[in-house]
Amino acid sequence: MLEKSPNSSVVAYYLDFLVGSEYMSNIVSRRTSRQVMQDTISALLTRELKVRFGSKRLGYFWALAEPVLQASVIAIIFTILGRSSLSGVPVALFLLLGILPFRGFTKASTQLATAIKANKALFAYRQVSPIDPFITRLLIESATYLVVYSLLMIALFWIGFQVIPEKPLELILINLFMLSMAAGYGLLLSNLVLFYDDAPRIISLIHQPLFFISGIFFVITMIPAQYWHYLTWNPLLHFTELSRDAMFSSYKTPVGDWLYLLTITICLWGGGLSFYWVNRHRFLAS
Amino acid sequence: MIHFRNVSKFYPTRNARAYIFKDINFKLPMTRSIGVLGPNGAGKSTLVRMIGGADTPSRGNIDSDLRISWPLGLQGGLQGSMSGRENVRFVARINGIRNTSSIECEVAKFADIGRYYDEPIRTYSSGMKSRVAFGLSLAFNFDVLLIDEVTSVGDATFRKKSQLALKRIRETTHVIMVSHEMKQLQEFCEAGIVIKNQNFVFHSCIQDAIRDYQETYVKL
Repeated sequence: MLEKSPNSSVVAYYLDFLVGSEYMSNIVSRRTSRQVMQDTISALLTRELKVRFGSKRLGYFWALAEPVLQASVIAIIFTILGRSSLSGVPVALFLLLGILPFRGFTKASTQLATAIKANKALFAYRQVSPIDPFITRLLIESATYLVVYSLLMIALFWIGFQVIPEKPLELILINLFMLSMAAGYGLLLSNLVLFYDDAPRIISLIHQPLFFISGIFFVITMIPAQYWHYLTWNPLLHFTELSRDAMFSSYKTPVGDWLYLLTITICLWGGGLSFYWVNRHRFLAS
Repeated sequence: MIHFRNVSKFYPTRNARAYIFKDINFKLPMTRSIGVLGPNGAGKSTLVRMIGGADTPSRGNIDSDLRISWPLGLQGGLQGSMSGRENVRFVARINGIRNTSSIECEVAKFADIGRYYDEPIRTYSSGMKSRVAFGLSLAFNFDVLLIDEVTSVGDATFRKKSQLALKRIRETTHVIMVSHEMKQLQEFCEAGIVIKNQNFVFHSCIQDAIRDYQETYVKL
């Protein structure tokens, strides 16, 4: 009978013997919702960084090496073709200014598109809401992008390239613009990923051909003006055009349009947020 | 006190909305432990998940100023790619605990699964998973503990240990428990809820709840 309902002091003694007396006393304090979100995002950050970079030893290395390798392959092709400068600027710098924002955009948006779905198991905890893993990945992608960008520029400067931008503020602004558009686009895509499991594959398939029409290895002035309208709908082209405009004093972009980028960004954010709100229960449900 | 305001929950089906709960207005007193009764598919888990904030009502809202645990169930909660320890660390952090080393130790002791504690959760058996999940939820001073048939998968040692633990915190923590084992409900709960007609009926005595459940659903 003692087995079935021992008095509480016997229970306490036996359990303390098993697991220690401090157990069951970790204080869950009452916090404001802002504090809860901060704690959640910092916990998710640690987790996500570990998954992303910890499992592969060379995780951080590849973040840097990938754009460099890509640029050098194209640079080698250009050199074989006998061109070491384009519009009077060195090929390597020219290419990096195209590759970096393009890769930044496609990488960030595909990562963000799957952020919510990948962390679904964690919504069992009331502290974690679907937007938290999204914000976490946005922070990681933005920080990685800005660090990689700066490190590559410093490396080029060290080798002896002229990397001081002609209009530094505009170069910073266009990159922040790119990140915020990627975020809006990623939020919109995460709704698609919610409904179609194959969506990430299709998205990356669509991103592939964009590599050739986003002005990575050309500037728009190399193309006859009557064909420009086939290319200028693509906001990624505007990022590369405006980046080079801000970097090189010798290049003036005839098509780069800040207002167009702003419009697209606002539309993507508007669409992304509305669909997120409509589907907020579905994001939670397992 | 857990306050249900106009709570409805439905799932869209091919033809129409399948309502699980419809327009519930109720103040659930949390002065004692509550067992949740109902047949499969009645919405026991959904109810517990909504109370725990893992799911939201389709309409209305549930609020409470108590500290409620996450729904402690067989699926969900623990992330398969992370180890037991990392899961513990994560949950401690989202609950606002900065220094997680002591809690990691305590849960390790309770779960008692040896080196598996540092292996990914997906390599665990269901019994090991519930050891970690249960040990973890017991490490905090929650006012309400939501238990969704998690104690039923463990072996004898684990069952004994979790029984002791639940008894020890009886004065400060009450459970809301889903179980098909009447014996277990009788042992841990004083009050009961029976889910019927897209609503629930609260009985302040678990015996009444069990009788009501058997009269409504158990027909042989």
